[in-house]
Amino acid sequence: MNSFIIISTLLIQNIWGTFSSAQLETIYNQITPSIALVQYSSEVTNQVTGEVTRRDGNALGLIVSADGLVMVPGFVELENISSFNFRVRLNIKGEEKEFPALKLRKPDDLNVMFLKIDNEENIKFPYAQFTEDSLKIGSTVTMVGILGETVDYARCITTAHIGAILEKPRLTYCLDENVRLGFVGAPVINEQGNIVGVVGFDLSKAEGGEVYTRSGHPLIYQYSLFKKYIQNPPAVQYQDEEQGAWLGVITQPLTDDFAEYWDLPKEGGLIVATIVNPSPASECGLKIGDIITNFNGTPIKAKYETDVTSFTKLVREAGVGNRVKIEILRDKKPMTLTALLQTRPRKSSEAEEFEWESVGITVREITPDMRIALSIDETVQGVLVYRVKSGSPAQISRISRGFIIQAIGDIPVRSIDEFKNVVTIIQEKKPKEITFFAKMGNISGFFRIQPRWAE
Amino acid sequence: MKNIKVSLKLFISLFAILSSLTLLMGCSTLSNGGVLQSQVLKAKSKVVPALVHLNPIKPVYTLGKKEEVIVIGSGFIISADGYIVTNEHVVGESKKVKCILSDKREIDAEVVGTDPFTDIAVLKLPSQEKYPFVIMGNSDNVQTGEMVIAMGSPHGLARSVSMGIISMTDRYLEDQRGVISVFNNFIQTDAAINQGNSGGPLVNLKGEVIGINSRMLVGAENVGFAIPINTAKEVVENIIKNGKINRSWLGLNLQEMKAITEDPNRQGVVIADVEMDSPAYKVGIRSGDILKQVNEEPVHARFQEDLPVIRRRLAHLEIGKEVELTIQRGDKEEKIKVIPDVYSPYKGQEVEFSEWGFTASDITNEMMRRLRIPSRNGIYISGVQDGSIAKISGLLAGDVILEIESQQVKNLEEFMKIYRQAIDKKQPRILLFVQRGVVTRYVLIKNIKDIKDEQPASKIVNEERSTTHE
Repeated sequence: MNSFIIISTLLIQNIWGTFSSAQLETIYNQITPSIALVQYSSEVTNQVTGEVTRRDGNALGLIVSADGLVMVPGFVELENISSFNFRVRLNIKGEEKEFPALKLRKPDDLNVMFLKIDNEENIKFPYAQFTEDSLKIGSTVTMVGILGETVDYARCITTAHIGAILEKPRLTYCLDENVRLGFVGAPVINEQGNIVGVVGFDLSKAEGGEVYTRSGHPLIYQYSLFKKYIQNPPAVQYQDEEQGAWLGVITQPLTDDFAEYWDLPKEGGLIVATIVNPSPASECGLKIGDIITNFNGTPIKAKYETDVTSFTKLVREAGVGNRVKIEILRDKKPMTLTALLQTRPRKSSEAEEFEWESVGITVREITPDMRIALSIDETVQGVLVYRVKSGSPAQISRISRGFIIQAIGDIPVRSIDEFKNVVTIIQEKKPKEITFFAKMGNISGFFRIQPRWAE
Repeated sequence: MKNIKVSLKLFISLFAILSSLTLLMGCSTLSNGGVLQSQVLKAKSKVVPALVHLNPIKPVYTLGKKEEVIVIGSGFIISADGYIVTNEHVVGESKKVKCILSDKREIDAEVVGTDPFTDIAVLKLPSQEKYPFVIMGNSDNVQTGEMVIAMGSPHGLARSVSMGIISMTDRYLEDQRGVISVFNNFIQTDAAINQGNSGGPLVNLKGEVIGINSRMLVGAENVGFAIPINTAKEVVENIIKNGKINRSWLGLNLQEMKAITEDPNRQGVVIADVEMDSPAYKVGIRSGDILKQVNEEPVHARFQEDLPVIRRRLAHLEIGKEVELTIQRGDKEEKIKVIPDVYSPYKGQEVEFSEWGFTASDITNEMMRRLRIPSRNGIYISGVQDGSIAKISGLLAGDVILEIESQQVKNLEEFMKIYRQAIDKKQPRILLFVQRGVVTRYVLIKNIKDIKDEQPASKIVNEERSTTHE
């Protein structure tokens, strides 16, 4: 198998700040072998109805190592989109080749993803080699992307300018014009002919974007932002992964306004606004109104909303089962608490589901984040009705999405496991009729259902 | 200009309906020898003199502001000294209502009292003369298929009359798009009812009022609903006597027996839910129990439409006087004594806090149910104005203020006191602790001084504008 490496310096020097056609041609020819078409399937969960639909997708994949590490845009995997069955299509010496690939865990500080080509034959792939080189405002950059299906996913070169430099909260560059979808993830080459980054889009908060929310503008993710992932690729993502450690607080930043009001130094910190009960936070004696100034040896200087997520990350990585010291200010006096960190509860997107076909409903466990999103008090136990099948016995009995089933017949149902147990017992007896006790908002009621038992 | 066009169009279409009705009636005249026509005319003549067109100026709280809107509704005089009955949703919180009587005189009436639960309001005309008034019939005796006449001001067209039949005598509409009617069923009719008909009478062919037209199904054809006059009589009597109707509260949410069994022989009413800390909760009554007797008198609701009468029965219990309930739990029957408390108002008192730009109200049990508020502590933010101090500081509509300046907020009155002080003292920062769903949060209000100082120009422009308009 042939192996060729993309040379990082193309030995061109632009005095006028543009690329000549000959230069563009050289860049095009050198870059395109490392540009792959990535095809995959995804399951998209409608966040309103909970309905799951399956669809196929395409994305630009950039090979970034000779052993087959592929960088793809972050839209491939979002909070409500789970993708699988990745195939990386490459054009090697005029011949189309397709390789299966595994998805690696998505980085939580950058909206990009990595795949690893299943490289059994130990092929040396052509790859893009990045350089840490600065970009200047107004300078020209060129990018190589992929066009659509109707033009056979042809590789395409284009130029744009650096329109803006964003200094805070981290350095990034903004392109001066919009790019086509096939250019998201495309390598960006500067006037010196170095591959300095890729085209990227930040996630909006609604899409699960946490740390940086400069959504909607084409950015250049410079090499320094993802260098660590190329040098140390993330682990392969498996299902049911551990979520990391959990403290059980909702905090808000100690802004200068708050500091002034409470007569505290304007050094930042996190105000404890909500405590989940029970949680490591409630057990270690943390109280609403406490100000966290140090967590496990790391000073907390949060002043902006965006700083809160860094704290979440800090907690997550502090290790389940570890005892951590939390320094706080309570009524202006410093105090130190010790919390025993627990496993982070599952997120709603990973909540356990159970479909009861004879009744026509799918129920879900109620995770702590669902309690917050749906305003379900801690005292309310049960399972959440997530889907009601059209024309099903449940629909006839006016069960709707959002109901919380708290009992079946006389048997209380406090969790999804209890629900499953009761269903198992009922399935054996096949009664003509069952009764749910369910809560809808602040009102409860009984519902009679005639299940359709399988013959 | 636009308005005139619209109303003309409506008038034309109304005219068309009326003429087709005459056509129909022409047919019946043939078979009935004019009996029906003369009955309709007679019935109409008995009520029309007492018909009132209402033009209240109603305060409404919207998007963090208190505003006044002009409403059009209907009503009818029920006594020679000038009491008028209409819908609560027509008059709302207005104090005085402009009335146009059938002789086209304009007179201001005072609002005597309202009952949002049954959507009934009573007004009073000055007692300077004897007014024509309607005869109230007995709505328990009405039948499906009976002919009825609806009167009022559809779309503002005063003294309009339409005709139809009773489509259904006891329609249960407990919770339709947020409108709660737990104490009564409705008379459903196909007599044309439109916006503006609200509060007008539904009349039988004897010329007796049997209902108050109050709702219609939007998007449907001639599906209107009237509050039965027997429900109204009792409420009206109480409002005239006390300015309001007092109800007692046990904290029971009831459901029909059909919800748990198809067996028609099982007597009682299902207790679906017991409100936290209510009298019934305190004596150990729980959801799933069956209520069988109240003071040894049996109660039974097989279907939903049987529920309002039981709810009324419970609401009529004397407040503070022990009552004995027979409760069935599993196979056992138990007699439980409980002391009824006062039924919560439908909505809490609402106030605009103009300096910060938001409106808030006290929290009632009824609001907890409707708006999913977890407890009665604090005050409920019903609206926040765009660009206001409240909005800039991060307060949202739907938040519940639990604390102000680290003091617990028990009710609106207490909050207002501290708020007033803060405004008067020009305190630069005020700390609130709010509940948003199940999450709590601190909100620091930057008091008026700072923000006004920052934007003096826009303030002046606004004032200038308002003067030129006048």
